[in-house]
Amino acid sequence: MTRRLAFLAAAAAAWGAAAWFLWQTTVVPSSLHLPHVDQHAFFTDAQIHAASSFSRVEDLLFWGTTLLQIAALAAFARWGVRWSRESAAGPIGTGMLLGMLGFALVWVVQLPLEVVGLWWQRHHHLSRVSYPSFLFGDWFALAGEFVFLCFALAIVMGLARRFRDTWWISAAPAFIGLALLFAFVSPYLITTHRLQNASLQTIASQLEKKEGVGHVPIEVEDIHDVTSLPNSEAAGLGPSRRVIIFDTMLDGRFTTGELKVVIGHELGHLARHHIWKDVGWYALFAFPGLFLVAQATKLRGGLREPAAVPLALLAIVVLQLLALPLQNAISRHMEAEADWMSLRTTRDPKDAIQLFRRFVPTTLDEPDPSTFDYLMLEDHPTIVQRIAMAEAWRRYATSAAQSP
Amino acid sequence: MQPEHPVRLVVRDDLERRRLTVFFRLLLAIPHFVWIFLWSIAVFFASIANWVATLVRGTPAQGLHRFMCAYVRYGAHLGAYIGLVANPYPAFTGEEGGYPIDVRLPEPTEQGRWSVFFRFFIALPALLLTSATGGGGPRFNYGLGGGRKSYSGGAESGGLLVACGFLGWFASLAHGRMPKGLRDAGAYSVGYSAQATAYLLLVTDRYPNADPTAMLADVDRPPEHPVRLVGDPHDLRRSRVTVFFRLLLTIPHIVWLTLWGVAFVLALIANWVVTLFRGTPAHPLHRFSCAYLRQRLHVLAFLTLTTNPFPGFVGEMGRYPLDLELPEPARQNRWKTGFRILLAVPALVVSSALSGALFWCAVLTWFYALARGSATWGLRNLAAYALRYDAQVNAYVALVTEAYPHASPLEGAPTPQHEFADTT
Repeated sequence: MTRRLAFLAAAAAAWGAAAWFLWQTTVVPSSLHLPHVDQHAFFTDAQIHAASSFSRVEDLLFWGTTLLQIAALAAFARWGVRWSRESAAGPIGTGMLLGMLGFALVWVVQLPLEVVGLWWQRHHHLSRVSYPSFLFGDWFALAGEFVFLCFALAIVMGLARRFRDTWWISAAPAFIGLALLFAFVSPYLITTHRLQNASLQTIASQLEKKEGVGHVPIEVEDIHDVTSLPNSEAAGLGPSRRVIIFDTMLDGRFTTGELKVVIGHELGHLARHHIWKDVGWYALFAFPGLFLVAQATKLRGGLREPAAVPLALLAIVVLQLLALPLQNAISRHMEAEADWMSLRTTRDPKDAIQLFRRFVPTTLDEPDPSTFDYLMLEDHPTIVQRIAMAEAWRRYATSAAQSP
Repeated sequence: MQPEHPVRLVVRDDLERRRLTVFFRLLLAIPHFVWIFLWSIAVFFASIANWVATLVRGTPAQGLHRFMCAYVRYGAHLGAYIGLVANPYPAFTGEEGGYPIDVRLPEPTEQGRWSVFFRFFIALPALLLTSATGGGGPRFNYGLGGGRKSYSGGAESGGLLVACGFLGWFASLAHGRMPKGLRDAGAYSVGYSAQATAYLLLVTDRYPNADPTAMLADVDRPPEHPVRLVGDPHDLRRSRVTVFFRLLLTIPHIVWLTLWGVAFVLALIANWVVTLFRGTPAHPLHRFSCAYLRQRLHVLAFLTLTTNPFPGFVGEMGRYPLDLELPEPARQNRWKTGFRILLAVPALVVSSALSGALFWCAVLTWFYALARGSATWGLRNLAAYALRYDAQVNAYVALVTEAYPHASPLEGAPTPQHEFADTT
């Protein structure tokens, strides 16, 4: 028992050290002091009120679907085993059936709130998805989840049958490998086309040089028939790296200067190897996460038994919820660095502030959400924090220029 | 399983065909097409009168009932004639007892008024299935022109009957004899369509029974095929949850089967070369093909709700309630091996026609099983027939057996039955 505790303590210490080192690889200058920003100085009361009332319902929907998911999985963990008699597939196949049924039940119980969520977004002109398309699209998304789930369960249960309680040690590298593979291929799974705007292309080339990322294709994803939300992302590893901009950012609502900030931000992600670091964090979470799942499923004979699959689903969802504040903090940490990289290369805090200001009426994001929302839901710095960083950069650059 | 259906198919056909009438079959049927068109118009109005009369009295009017019976019978005769299920030129009156493919119809009986009131809507599933099996039933067509609904008569034919008639035309011209498998399949189509039409036209209040075994109960069974279904057919229980998500639950299997299918095609090519040279398929490749075929059957049976349990992923024998018995590798004729794909084309035509019936079986069973938590015996057996034929076709293509697929809806008999006793 003592040896076991000592081992766990050593593993926890090693994990903490690895996490600390990984955290330290993502930095904004330690001397940077973010000034206090009053949201009322940048947004009208009407804008703040609209964002606040929109977000309130969105938050309720999020927590509603989360609680329903946990309730459905708890019920499934309690009674779902009975469906194993509907299988003639052997232990692993039966586990797959139970896993899929668990997901399917969650889908069913969440569907009403998802439809309400769609209505809410349509009501605010943020979504352009029709209800039938949403239902069919969701159905196909569920099909994709089923395939992935079966693949994951085949790995986990196969390893659990081979290595019994220590399956998680070998399963974690397998999932990390899959995460790497997915990070590499994900840009190829999105239909995009090259950015046609010559001036933006030129700007992107200049930013690439400044950030030292080499040539990165700037792609456009046509998404205007699905949503009006502006967004962009950096994706891929090595040769699959690219910056993807939603065409909703190019519909005239954003100036060239603002788009320059966006491209600078996404290139900043690539310059600071955030996707690799994402995989690194995933790896750090995978080992303890799978270990805890292995411990939880011991109640049902371990994951070599199909009866343990419903419990495993519940354990995973609960662990994900518990880890959410930490994951959001990590994400915000990297997003802040990307913002900093963008400010460093564009040297244009005015356009950055203008861009962040424009996000509020176009996305109905709250500029300064409550602490609870901030911890649980925000995976980017708040808009007020982003404006504050732009202001801080302005002062930082000025003082750097004035210093002898 | 069920009491005998009041609309009974009678098969007295001897499989002999006159080449001359076969060759001109469609042209010879032109007067019948005109006649049934006119008759169908009359039936349309008569059926409305009959519907009102039955709603009021609870029993169809005797005269109208006779009129409908003659129409149903005539539709069956004509369907059988066009589909080469029977040889003689049919009469225009739909009289009972005069034609080798006939239907026995009941006397008018008391019918539930609710069932009569909603008859058309209740009959829709059976009519959908009729559109896939074909035969002499009524059909509601939507033309490309403007989506206009039209009512047409019994001369029209659907998938299975058309396929059997088309293939039977060549076979009958060549041999002067209709292959029994195609004849039986065509007869089943005619019989089911007759039951569906009789139900729609208030000749009976018994719902059509899609069970091919019950429909052809009096017909001799074909010889046993080396590729046959085994297992427990009587478990009709269906889990509502797995039924509701059936398509999604099958997707991992479909992905897996697709990947396996690529390897199967490569193995098939290799096996084809080996069989051409050695005269016998290679054992490992044969085993590989058998496992794939079994897996395919399990997945299709699950997908189409022919069975209830979730299947495994390895095509193992004896683990699934609907399983496939396959032969050991045996010597095969090199000519037949060389031209296997071409030889399989007629069987693939029938299989494709049956897939339509299988699709509708699955769709209808889905609704039924969600409501009742069980499958129907008739649809289950029709689906099993389609799956068995599909497996026989694939086994033939995959060189697992040299035996040509048998299109008869009836399971093969281990010992020769009357019709085959003379020829062996």
